[in-house]
Amino acid sequence: KLNIGVDTLQHGIEGLTYLLTESSKLMISEIDFQESIHVLGFSDELNKLLLQLYLDNRKEIRSILSELAPKLPSYHSLEWRLDVQLASRSLRQQIKPAVTMKLHLNENEDQTAQVLQTDPATLLHLIQQLEQALGEMKTNHCRRIVRNMK
Amino acid sequence: SNSCISDDPDLKDIDPAVLKHCHAAAAMCILEAGKQKADLAAISTCLEDCKLDKERIEQFCTEYQKNKDALEILLGSIGRSPLHITDVSWRLEYQIKSNQLHKTYQPSYLVTLNVENSDSGSHPDVSFSCTMEQLQDLVGKLKDAAKSLERATQM
Repeated sequence: KLNIGVDTLQHGIEGLTYLLTESSKLMISEIDFQESIHVLGFSDELNKLLLQLYLDNRKEIRSILSELAPKLPSYHSLEWRLDVQLASRSLRQQIKPAVTMKLHLNENEDQTAQVLQTDPATLLHLIQQLEQALGEMKTNHCRRIVRNMK
Repeated sequence: SNSCISDDPDLKDIDPAVLKHCHAAAAMCILEAGKQKADLAAISTCLEDCKLDKERIEQFCTEYQKNKDALEILLGSIGRSPLHITDVSWRLEYQIKSNQLHKTYQPSYLVTLNVENSDSGSHPDVSFSCTMEQLQDLVGKLKDAAKSLERATQM
């Protein structure tokens, strides 16, 4: 229907794909994009279309590309439950509080769930440590780095 | 423990089979008392029924009392349970780029939970990465659990 050869069409699509992915990957500015495609000698109308195509799809392309980076299992969610152990085979009449958790992680497109348990003292320790971790981004040191990186 | 029994001068004249029986009987008595959280009165009564004299009963009870807490801790730790979290470590990174994507500029946390197996003791740690929002979610949930725990202990 387009009246061009299969090869030409394929090359066209590959070229377009390459153009859009490279531009999105590098997050180049509008001006840089325009300058880059100017070299190709297309009409002004086509250049405008290509620019619009780039700007419209850039975010989505970047989020797809981010999936390709090496990754560790990542946090998905946490369920928790409060338990009190009252007795066991070795010891009766206990009152042993514990927090049982199910940690859901995303690992290479699979979701894994791991059951973990901890005692009240360790729970408070975990909270304290992780709150410290969260606070780090707000320190002057981190703020300075973030400012200077951009 | 075999050697310390046979080395003890008071014990070396006793028939080893008898010694073994005594040791087993004492151990069983102690473990059963510990398991049931028996008080000294109950233990005394039990030993009286076994025809032990008053002095021996007193000695036994004194020693038992000294070690009661340690015994209960030991007994309480026996048994199966899910992987137990003992500690956490974290790492904050600022991602700049990857070969797939440049200019990412995002903070990212790597959290490692140190866990212990009730059977074998050690176990590979559970590690995962998360964004700041995800870590906030995690901490929020842990705080809910802690608050719930506090309320439960006040009941």
